Amino acid sequence: MTARGTPSRFLQSVLHNGVGRYVCQLKRISLIFSKKGQGSLGVRDFIEEGVVDFAKNNPGTVVYISPQSCRIPKIVAEYLNGNVKEETVTNKASQEIAELITKLSNQSGLDIIRIRKPFHTDSPSIQGQWHPFTNRPPRLCIVFIL
Amino acid sequence: MTCALPKKTQSQWATFARSWFLIDARMQPPGKIASMCSVRLQGKHKPIYHPLSDIGDHVVVMNTRHIAFSGNKWEQKVYSSHTGYPGSFKQLTAAQMHKKDPTAIIKLAVYGMLPKNLTRRTMMQRLHLFPDDVLPEDILKNLTEELPQPREIPRKLSEYTQEERNAFPMLWTPPEDYRMK
Repeated sequence: MTARGTPSRFLQSVLHNGVGRYVCQLKRISLIFSKKGQGSLGVRDFIEEGVVDFAKNNPGTVVYISPQSCRIPKIVAEYLNGNVKEETVTNKASQEIAELITKLSNQSGLDIIRIRKPFHTDSPSIQGQWHPFTNRPPRLCIVFIL
Repeated sequence: MTCALPKKTQSQWATFARSWFLIDARMQPPGKIASMCSVRLQGKHKPIYHPLSDIGDHVVVMNTRHIAFSGNKWEQKVYSSHTGYPGSFKQLTAAQMHKKDPTAIIKLAVYGMLPKNLTRRTMMQRLHLFPDDVLPEDILKNLTEELPQPREIPRKLSEYTQEERNAFPMLWTPPEDYRMK
């Protein structure tokens, strides 16, 4: 689709994150997998090896492990601004799942759509926005009505 | 100008305001008047100019009946037109054209100075020409600025006072019986 048909947004940061303290925007991450399915093999390996380290490194994120009888294993990431992102991880290796989880933890919750401008400022004008009467001597604005 | 608009939209709204300019064409060369008009109709006098943005202003020209061509252009400048039908080639001198329609000379001059694209017609609609200094009330109310005239009008001898004439330096004093032609 064209850029006009797909959604777009302006560049923004969530509450000027990073100017002061950096707050990890990932609120909750849930690993949904099955205990005996073939597709969840990578997830199960990841849970054995990497999940605990990930949880220790990101103290601000809550990690939920929920084994259910499901055909496709999923990772559901919820962010502080309310966005929920679901990724299916069937037949993925443990390493790939680890990379995916670090990517999700580095993202802010903003939508991944076309960004209209790669810049944004809260103060677009320092000396004042131009209008037709800037730099005009006030004498010229007198009109003699005949 | 304080309306219920957020600060950023309010300052941007003033930036894109359309002004109304007034030009008095009495004793002025129509070409200079036309170039001033075309600059303002396109919006080239603004720092936010872009050819696609449609940010031109309105221009009101009064006293177009009293424009002043330099040289012999009143008799020598020829306006030609052809409707496409055989035998319809018309050529009018500037004087004849001016007699027929006192606003036509400036209108054609501005039309020729605007960019030759589809925005030209919209810009011409924003040009208002009046043969005399009688302007309708709604246009008078809209005017924001009067532009200075491009040509300084020289004074006629009758407009000088006797003191100024006496104070003017003489190259030589003629003897009393000298006859001026």
